[in-house]
Amino acid sequence: MIWFAALRTAIDAGTVVVLAGMGELLTERVGVLNLGLEGLIGIGAVAAVIATDLGMGPWTAFVVGMLAAALFGFLFASSVVVIRTNQVLTGLALVLVGVGLSNQLGNDYQGSPIQDRFRPLPIPVLADIPQVGPALFNHTLVVYVAYVALPLGVAFLLYRTRHGMNLRAVGENPAAADAAGINVTGMRLCYATIGASFAGAGGAFLMLAFTPVWAVDVARGRGWVALAVVIFAAWRPFRLVFGALLFGAMISLGFIAQQQNWGVSSFVLSMLPYVVTLTLIVVPAALARFGIRARSTVAPGSLAQPYFREER
Amino acid sequence: MSAARWAGTEGRRLRLERRLLANPRRAAILRVIGAAVALLVSGLILELTGRSAPFLAGEVVDSTFGSRFGLEETALIATPILLAAIAVAIPLRMRLWNIGVEGQFYMGAWASAGVGIFLDAPRPVLLISMAAAGALGGAAWILLPAIARAWWGVNEIITTLLLNFVAILWVGWFSIDIWRDRAAAVIQATPLVGATLPTFPGATILHVGFVLPFVLAVVFWYVFRGTRWGYEVDMAGGNPRAAEFAGINVRRRIVTVMLLSGAIGGLAGMVHLSGATFRLQQTISSSYGLSGFIVAALAGASFIGVVAGGVFIALLLHSGIALQGAGLSVYIVVAVYGLVLVGIAVGEVAARYRLVFGSPARAGSPAEERAPP
Amino acid sequence: MSPSLTLPDHGSDDAPEPDVDGLGRVVIRARGISKSFDETLALDDVDLELRAGEVHALLGENGAGKTTLSNVIAGIYRADRGSVEVDGTEHHFRSPSQAIAAGIGMVHQQFRLIQPMTVAENVHLGWHDTPSVVSRKVLVDRTMRLMDELSIHIDPTAQIWQLSVGEQQRVEILRTLARGARVLILDEPTAVLTAEQARELFGVMRSLVAGGRTVVFISHKLKEVLEVSDRITVLRAGRHMVTRYTAGATPHELAVLMTGDHSELRVRRGAARSEQPLLEIDGVSALSSRGLPALRDVTLGVYGGEIVGVAGVSGNGQTELAEVVTGLRRTESGTIRIDRTDVTDQSPRSFAEAHVGHIPEDRLGVALVRSAQVRDNAVLRQYRRPEFSTWYALRHGSIAEFARRLVAAARVQTPGIDTPTGFLSGGNQQRLVAGREAGVASRVFIASQPTRGLDVQSTGDVQRSIIDRRDAGCAVLLISDDLDEVLLMSDRVVVMYEGRIVGSFEGEEVDRRRIGLLMGGHLGEDDGRGTGE
Repeated sequence: MIWFAALRTAIDAGTVVVLAGMGELLTERVGVLNLGLEGLIGIGAVAAVIATDLGMGPWTAFVVGMLAAALFGFLFASSVVVIRTNQVLTGLALVLVGVGLSNQLGNDYQGSPIQDRFRPLPIPVLADIPQVGPALFNHTLVVYVAYVALPLGVAFLLYRTRHGMNLRAVGENPAAADAAGINVTGMRLCYATIGASFAGAGGAFLMLAFTPVWAVDVARGRGWVALAVVIFAAWRPFRLVFGALLFGAMISLGFIAQQQNWGVSSFVLSMLPYVVTLTLIVVPAALARFGIRARSTVAPGSLAQPYFREER
Repeated sequence: MSAARWAGTEGRRLRLERRLLANPRRAAILRVIGAAVALLVSGLILELTGRSAPFLAGEVVDSTFGSRFGLEETALIATPILLAAIAVAIPLRMRLWNIGVEGQFYMGAWASAGVGIFLDAPRPVLLISMAAAGALGGAAWILLPAIARAWWGVNEIITTLLLNFVAILWVGWFSIDIWRDRAAAVIQATPLVGATLPTFPGATILHVGFVLPFVLAVVFWYVFRGTRWGYEVDMAGGNPRAAEFAGINVRRRIVTVMLLSGAIGGLAGMVHLSGATFRLQQTISSSYGLSGFIVAALAGASFIGVVAGGVFIALLLHSGIALQGAGLSVYIVVAVYGLVLVGIAVGEVAARYRLVFGSPARAGSPAEERAPP
Repeated sequence: MSPSLTLPDHGSDDAPEPDVDGLGRVVIRARGISKSFDETLALDDVDLELRAGEVHALLGENGAGKTTLSNVIAGIYRADRGSVEVDGTEHHFRSPSQAIAAGIGMVHQQFRLIQPMTVAENVHLGWHDTPSVVSRKVLVDRTMRLMDELSIHIDPTAQIWQLSVGEQQRVEILRTLARGARVLILDEPTAVLTAEQARELFGVMRSLVAGGRTVVFISHKLKEVLEVSDRITVLRAGRHMVTRYTAGATPHELAVLMTGDHSELRVRRGAARSEQPLLEIDGVSALSSRGLPALRDVTLGVYGGEIVGVAGVSGNGQTELAEVVTGLRRTESGTIRIDRTDVTDQSPRSFAEAHVGHIPEDRLGVALVRSAQVRDNAVLRQYRRPEFSTWYALRHGSIAEFARRLVAAARVQTPGIDTPTGFLSGGNQQRLVAGREAGVASRVFIASQPTRGLDVQSTGDVQRSIIDRRDAGCAVLLISDDLDEVLLMSDRVVVMYEGRIVGSFEGEEVDRRRIGLLMGGHLGEDDGRGTGE
């Protein structure tokens, strides 16, 4: 019985990671490394809170959260793609600005929960299946989108469209893409911004469905986990969902352990997700060196490298 | 001959020219300018949101420089930051980013707390043991990321970062739960450690650990300027393949450099524990590790720059604390940090460009093959 | 999905009106093109006229401006001055896509292909004709139809990294033609091909121009230019020297125009050889970085006081050969001896200590640390010696002294020894490397593609330092894909093909034609396969 409840929690907990991670997947596929997810989640969250407070409904607030993050994402992208600042430093700066700003703005809302939130949307028939039904088919719409529509959409975009092919080319070899007439700068700006907006969506979701009360450092490391999960997923959409679910499962495990009084300290349980994520990154790399290679786990060829077109 | 060739053609032009490498001194200056501009912009924004920047600035100067205590407090903050910055600067010379210095700080503090609480020994012995424990704790914490990077090519930013969270939780666990001081009911921390660092004669809170970062800065300045090892590390960082060609074992250098970094990070934790907080508590670090990282980025792996930058950031942090009294929250300081980092990053880029007056030389001159093929 | 794949039209496609010379009308007229980079003038008031139905060769040395001029015509660079007319209309291309739209396409020396993607994907990259929604099958079908139309065939489902260089080149050509190029510019296409493959390429070129297109063939290889082109334009140091019909041109005259220099570097045969070989490669086999066999049972001996030149097209094991004899690659079998001492599989440091100098093929990737100062790079291979350092300190004084002497002797042009090496030009970087390695080498010297991409001056300096080593009694192994260079400098020539030594020539036996055949894998009846003693 509890395991299905655990599954439910896992799915919910993993949603933020799926959203932020999918956005980062797109960003990295065009060759940009955005370390600022933690800050962007915070921005999306605080924007959603403020929007609700101003009387907007949950969906409007959700969009506001995405837009706010998109704005910062665009600033980040401009700095990194046009001015070509160091992507690591700029990404960290984004974390600081995002976390600082969101904590500051959210301060006034601590302790007052959002009333008008996302409600779960049970899928007719399927939600009535005993045990499994409530666990899988009684979530908010965003969850369904994140776990099903999003990976499908991204996979379709990347592998089945001309535009997606160009996108991948930009990430692999921007010089070649440029020579083929693809607008490298435009692509990178566009998808880095879109990726950032997804992270904001994650933050907004956090406030509107998962933990509707603002707290300091609302992202709680999920932005960093998303980055790690993208690596684990080898930049493939469906593996990303799997990795996020795994992370969610760890969090869920923590809740159960507390409830069931397994006697494990809450601290240890909180560590679990990070340790597991770490393992997910390190082990495949180690195995690869010993010849065991699951599939191509090579990063997009130009990741984190600014592109300078040869002078015209 | 060139002049004659160009007579009568369009004259000299002003161009923005990009080079592959920047003059290091220029880069440092521009980074500082970038940081300064960011601060100015922050001040402007604060003004616009109704807080008087000059007033705040005044508060800052007052609380920091206005009193002896303020200076001591700043120095107290500067110590762990500078140590963390040195810890980060060393691997940075090999283009390795140790953002896990925060976690190594925590683990160093934890290890030395363990020794300090449970070992019974005369003060000097205990302090030395604690220092050793701190260094070992920090080094052990970075070991996995170091190996993962050197042998399996795993990005050290993510690995060390994830371990930060684990370390903070680990220390929280021990300080609030396992090693909790049951006697002092109110405090959520461990008992006092058995030995503490003495303060300077005449000082209230500033401990002798304050000299350590300066000593280390000088030591490593020399190491990277005048020793074989430093030369090898620099070469390996500049081009690992060429370094291998020269017989330098790059993998071993990566691990060594990272372990050294972790050790110093751990030592920073020990110093702060035994000099400032005296107990192990969950909040033993106010993002000193992160600040140290930013300082190292500002300094560009120059140890003189690290010292200067560390002092600057300590002032900034202390100002943040002081400004909380004036109604400004610490979060704003964090956001300002972020802007400063952006300013640094932009300065870094600007260093590679220069405005040039010039007329092109003739083809066939020795520089010709620099033209793209 | 578009119903047909007929290639787009550019201008009238009627048969070219035959002129007196059999060539069609002028399709491109470039006038007064000048272009500079930083402080260097790469093109100086150059004119070029291209006609329909011709193979037009652009001939010149490294740095003459051939590629730059083509890049201007193909829209990759913008000329500072001058104009380009296509079919009578003046254009100022701001991007390659504009040039492609006007029917001009270029295939570069470095392919602009996406390695992990397939042939079909690469062909369709950035092409507005590609449908917005695609499946793998659709792309493959379209590609196959294209291939049939243009008579160029490769496996469309293969990923680029799996293809040979020649095949990758064909993908590039296919891509360019698919977008309707009527003028196809090929930049040094034969640099990576065997003689056989080059001949195939020439066949493709001729069939393309037979259909009314124009092919611009950039090369520095006289023989090929004479073989396949209709007209030749010679550039030197950014200036236009001459444009003439190929018929009746002689190699000597072209060479003079190219280099402006009637003399040749005369190599005087040096001192006598040593008794025993100083470098012995005995039955060595090794794998390439991809895990495929790169060296197969290679046996070769090099005596002190001689230069053994290894001829062959890049990719036949030469890189790996240089790597095993300098400690950068492990052998699978066999032994390597320096002066009778077994040094097989030892580290590069050991080889340096055994006085083996090595100019690596990839100078920026392997030989130099760009961000470091000249002095640091100068001493890179010897810094462990007691005169330069002890375990706790570097001796800056003697390092500086050494660096200064090296820079002077090797004629490296640099503002100072503290300058970051990346600021130096390519030629000066190579002088530095050559000088440094010559200093290390007192017994064996390996030079791998030492003058690739260098200007005339630097080439001379580097070649001189190699010859100096030979005269000083070193065993020199010279690996170069420039056959002229090999023939010029070597006392003995061996030919490598597919990881084996397939021929060995000495003195009078040196037969350029036979060597060329062996390089392409044509092993004759009486070839000296296997050994090159």
